[in-house]
Amino acid sequence: MAALQFAFPSTAGSRRRPESRSTTRPARCTADRQALFNRIAPVYDNLNDLLSLGMHRVWKRMAVSWNEVREGDTAVDVCCGSGDLAFLLSEKVGISGKVIALDFSKEQLQIAATRQSAQSKACYKNIEWIEGDAADLPFPRSSFDAATIGYGLRNIVDRRKAMEEMYKVLKPGSKVSILDFNKSTSSLNSFSSSISCFFQDWMIDYIVVPIASGYTLADEYQYLKSSIKKYLTGKELEQLAREVGFSEAKFYEIGAGLMGNLVATR
Amino acid sequence: MVRRSGVLLKKVAAGISSRLAEILVCPLTKQPLRMCDKTNSLISDSIGVSYPIVDGIPRLVPSDGIILHSDQDLNSSDPPQTNSS
Repeated sequence: MAALQFAFPSTAGSRRRPESRSTTRPARCTADRQALFNRIAPVYDNLNDLLSLGMHRVWKRMAVSWNEVREGDTAVDVCCGSGDLAFLLSEKVGISGKVIALDFSKEQLQIAATRQSAQSKACYKNIEWIEGDAADLPFPRSSFDAATIGYGLRNIVDRRKAMEEMYKVLKPGSKVSILDFNKSTSSLNSFSSSISCFFQDWMIDYIVVPIASGYTLADEYQYLKSSIKKYLTGKELEQLAREVGFSEAKFYEIGAGLMGNLVATR
Repeated sequence: MVRRSGVLLKKVAAGISSRLAEILVCPLTKQPLRMCDKTNSLISDSIGVSYPIVDGIPRLVPSDGIILHSDQDLNSSDPPQTNSS
C-alpha cells in the first residue's frame, strides 16, 4: 500500500479529519443518484483510474471471468456507466454475441457511446446502450446468458427489486457477477474486518474526497462513504440472492478486502 | 478528462435496429414494444406510452415515457397506411 502515498495530497499530514461540508442534500432517491452520476460523468473514468491506481480494471476483469460468459452469448451489463464492463463482455462474446448495456444516466451513456465509436475492435459494435432503470428492466424473461453489475447495486434504492429483475432476465443456469465495494462486518471477533473498515473510511476521507474536491466533486464522492455503510455485507448479499430465487450465491472478497464480488446462479 | 468529439457525438437522431427493438419490452408492463419510425420512439400499446430514442439510445426509464393522450396521438404514431378505394 506504500504506492498509495504517491496519490496522497501534499496537504495531508497534520490535517484534521475532514468535516463534511455538504451543501447538497444526500442522494437518497433515485432521481438524486441519477443526477449525481450525470454530474460526475465527465471525470468518472479518470477518477476511477486515479483513485484505484488502475486496479479497478483488474477487478472488473475478474467480475467478467466469474460470470462464465462465452463466445456467442447474449450478455447484459446493468448500471453500465461509461461502459468498462460492457467492453470487457463484448471481448468475451465476440462478433457472434451481443451485449446490452443499461444505465439510468444519460451523461454516462453518452460517454460510453463515444468510447465505442472511438474504438476499432469489431466486437464492440455489438454493444447496444439503453437508458433504463435497474429496478424496472426493459427485457423479457430469460433473455441473457450472463450478466454483470459493476459498482451499481450499492447505488440502487430498491436493491431487492433490482435483484428480482436480474433473476427474471437471466436464463436458467446463467450467472450474474456483482462487483462493488466490500462492506466489512466489523466486530471484535474480526480484527481483519475492523482493519479493512478503518482503512476504507480513511481512504475515502483522506484520499478520495480530497482528490475529488480538485474536480469540485467533493460532495458527490462523500456520498461514497455513506453508500458503503448502507450497503449489504457479503453474507447479506448471498442471502438476498437466495431469497429472490437464485439457486447458488457466493461472495468473494478481493482487493485486500476493499472490494467484493457476488456470483449468483439462476 | 474524456474528450468529447463533436463529430462522434453529433449523430443524426438515429433509430435503432429492428433486432434491438425486438429484444426490448415496456419496463412497466413487460409487453413488446412497437417501433415507430415516424416519431423515432418505441410505443407500448398496452398502456399508451411512447418512449423516445435519442441519438440512437432508447430511453426506457419509466419516467421517460410520454403518455399518448388521444386516439390522434396513437394514430400519429402509426406507420402511414395507403387507402385503396
